[in-house]
Amino acid sequence: MLDYMIYLITFAAGSILGLLYSYKQHGEPFVAVTKFNVPFAIVSIAGWVLGFCSGNVILSAIGFLLAGFVMGERPGYGRKETAVGLIIAIIVYVLLKRPLCMM
Amino acid sequence: MNLMAEILIQVIIAFLAGSLLLGLHRKVMARVQKRPGPPIVQQLIHSLKFFFKETAFPKTVSKVFYIGIVFILALIWVVGVIVGPVAKDSLLILFGVYAVYKIVEHNSGSSSGSPYGKLSCVRAVLSAATELPLFAAIVFVYMVTGTMNIGEIITYQSVHGPLIYSIPLAALMFFMLILTKSPYSPFAITKDKVLISGFETEHFGFLRGFMLFSEAIAWYVLLWVFLTIFFGPLNAVGYLIGMIVISFVTGFINATTPLLSPNHSVMTQITIGAICFAGTALMIFTGVVA
Repeated sequence: MLDYMIYLITFAAGSILGLLYSYKQHGEPFVAVTKFNVPFAIVSIAGWVLGFCSGNVILSAIGFLLAGFVMGERPGYGRKETAVGLIIAIIVYVLLKRPLCMM
Repeated sequence: MNLMAEILIQVIIAFLAGSLLLGLHRKVMARVQKRPGPPIVQQLIHSLKFFFKETAFPKTVSKVFYIGIVFILALIWVVGVIVGPVAKDSLLILFGVYAVYKIVEHNSGSSSGSPYGKLSCVRAVLSAATELPLFAAIVFVYMVTGTMNIGEIITYQSVHGPLIYSIPLAALMFFMLILTKSPYSPFAITKDKVLISGFETEHFGFLRGFMLFSEAIAWYVLLWVFLTIFFGPLNAVGYLIGMIVISFVTGFINATTPLLSPNHSVMTQITIGAICFAGTALMIFTGVVA
C-alpha cells in the first residue's frame, strides 16, 4: 500500500504546485480557455502514461506529479490537456496490458 | 508490514483519497450548476489550511466536551479504517462505528451552545433513520453469505460473483447511506444551510481541521465498504474507478435535488428502506437468491 500512498501524495503535491503556478501565470477573473496548450498536453500525456504504465514506483510517482500539475491548474485551464493525456494513457495501458518496463 | 505502519499508511491514503474524491464531488456539483467550481485539490488544501488557522472558543461552549468530541470523531473513523481496509474485520463493528458517529454528530452540536448546533443535534437524532436501512443491508449480506467478516465476504464473492447481482436492493439501501453522508445531500438535514454548517458551525481552526479530516476518511471508508461488500474482490484500479463513479453520481444527484425537510427526509429514507427490505426478503425467501 506504500506505493499507492506515494502516488496520492505526489498527485496532490503536483496539483497544488499546478494551482500555484497557474494562478501566477493567469491572474485574471475566470475565463473558459478554448486554446489548447501543447507543452502542457505533452506534460500531461507523459505524466499519465508514466503513472499508469511504467510499472515502477519512482517513475509512476513522477508521472502522477506531472499529471497532477496539469490537472490541478486553476479552473478553466488544463482540462483538454488532461483529457488528452488520460485518453492516451488508457489506450497505451489497454494496448500493452503490461508495464512498459517489462517490455 | 508492521501493523502500525499499515494503519498509518491506510489512514493517509483514506485522508488524501477521501479529500480528492470530495473535491471531485464539489466539482461535479458546480459543473452541473454551470459554475466553474473549485479545483479538485481545493478540499484537501481547505482541510490542511484549518490546522494552521487561529482557534477561537465561544463563551457558550462546554470546553472539555467541545474539544474532546472532534478527537473522538477523528478516532472513530480511524477505527473505521482499521476495521475495514486494514483488518477486513466484522461489518458489525463498522455498523457500530457509524452508530457512534451519529452520537458524536449529536454531541458536537450540543457541546457548542449555539442554537444552530443544538438544532442540528436534534436533527442528528432524526437522521438516525439512515441506520435502519444500513443495518438491514448488513443483515441481508449476512443471510446470503453466512458471515459478517469482510475478508470472508470477499472470498464468497470471488466464488459466487458480486453480491450486487444477487441482492441489488440491499446495495441500494447501502447506497442511500452513502448519499445521505455526501455533502449537500437531499437527506443531509444536520447540515442544512438554514443551520449555517449545522453541528460544525461553532468549531473553528484546528478543530474544524479535524472535522474535515474525519469527513474525508469517512467518505473513503463508506465507499470502500460499499464497493468491497457488493462488488466483490477489486484491485486498486477497480476501487479507483468505483469511488470516482460513486462520487460523480452522488454529486449529480445532490446538484439536482433540493434539501428535504427533516420529516420528508426521514419518511423518504424509511420508505425506500422498507421497499428494499421487503424486496430483498422476498427474493431470499422465495429462493431467487441462492
